[in-house]
Amino acid sequence: MAMTLTPMEQFEVKPLSGMDHPLFHIAGHPIYFTNQSLLMVIVVIVASLFLTLTVKPGRLVPTRGQSMAEASYEFVANMIHSATGEDGLKYFPFVFSLFIFVLFSNFLGMLPGSFTVTSQIAVTFSLACLVVLLVIVVGFMKHGIGFLKLFVPHAPWYLLILLIPIEVISFLTRPISLSVRLFANMLAGHTMLAVFAGFVVALGTAGGIFAGLAIAPMLLIVAIMLLELLVAFLQAYVFAILTCIYLNEALHLHDQH
Amino acid sequence: MTSSDPDRLRELGRKLEDVQRRNVTGPKGPPPSQLGIAGRFATELVASLIAGGGLGWGLDWLCGHFGFHTRPVFLIVFFVLGAAAGIRNVMRAATEINAKMASKDLEK
Repeated sequence: MAMTLTPMEQFEVKPLSGMDHPLFHIAGHPIYFTNQSLLMVIVVIVASLFLTLTVKPGRLVPTRGQSMAEASYEFVANMIHSATGEDGLKYFPFVFSLFIFVLFSNFLGMLPGSFTVTSQIAVTFSLACLVVLLVIVVGFMKHGIGFLKLFVPHAPWYLLILLIPIEVISFLTRPISLSVRLFANMLAGHTMLAVFAGFVVALGTAGGIFAGLAIAPMLLIVAIMLLELLVAFLQAYVFAILTCIYLNEALHLHDQH
Repeated sequence: MTSSDPDRLRELGRKLEDVQRRNVTGPKGPPPSQLGIAGRFATELVASLIAGGGLGWGLDWLCGHFGFHTRPVFLIVFFVLGAAAGIRNVMRAATEINAKMASKDLEK
């Protein structure tokens, strides 16, 4: 029996079984309700339930769930405060939603048989574009046309001819690097897990002495799983902190707060 | 219970001070791992090339749309500028990480 290893199969976006016909069309393109859409809905529902059901006002001693919800609130509030200062707290709802969405997508993606929403570049790039658009809007609202000074470093004028395009490109890099970092980490981690899982199956079915060896990749999977849990949190954190740093630049231009 | 109350209050005050001090020391968080730093630099470089090249390609396309045959001049120029922007980004990231490491060392 030949086992074919398909570690990339888990990332396939396909319509749910039983929902084979498109929901509607946008500019002639059929829009399906896919496994990805389903997971995103689940992420939003689970996150909302977690944050609303666990928290009850007027409780003197918080339950475990409430402590977790409050800790995540404080964690993000501290992050914004330290990265952008007092006036960045206005954007707390945005950063918090972003952080919680990415965090829950990463964690729910770790469940066996689930689907990792953040391993799709389409999702992460949309989120990153949202961040950069917000930064641009905030920057222009706060500084008017003076926001463009962000692209003018302190240098003699003849160097500015070269430096301004470089700064503009450097700014345009942000949505790409922001999205690629999250997407690549998730893709790499889940591919690695699937490859090692494939080793277990291949060794196990080989029989004889090889079957006994199958325990080695199995142990490795456990270790990688733990590492991936860390990465899942860390990448959500990185995404949120970078959002804060970009917001800080839009709010305060060149000067440090 | 009542006799230990001043102790507990002092303990609480110390914890509060700790939290307040932590809040003013600027960006914090988990220290970046070696792999994280390498990944960061790599994505910065590649992303800048993509952004620069994409911008140049778009400008060429736009000029071609209006009847100027500039292709591939803008693509080449902006690709090189993208490389420069990538190095700029990596330098920026490096100073950021240096500052973080320095403040971490200071705390110890």
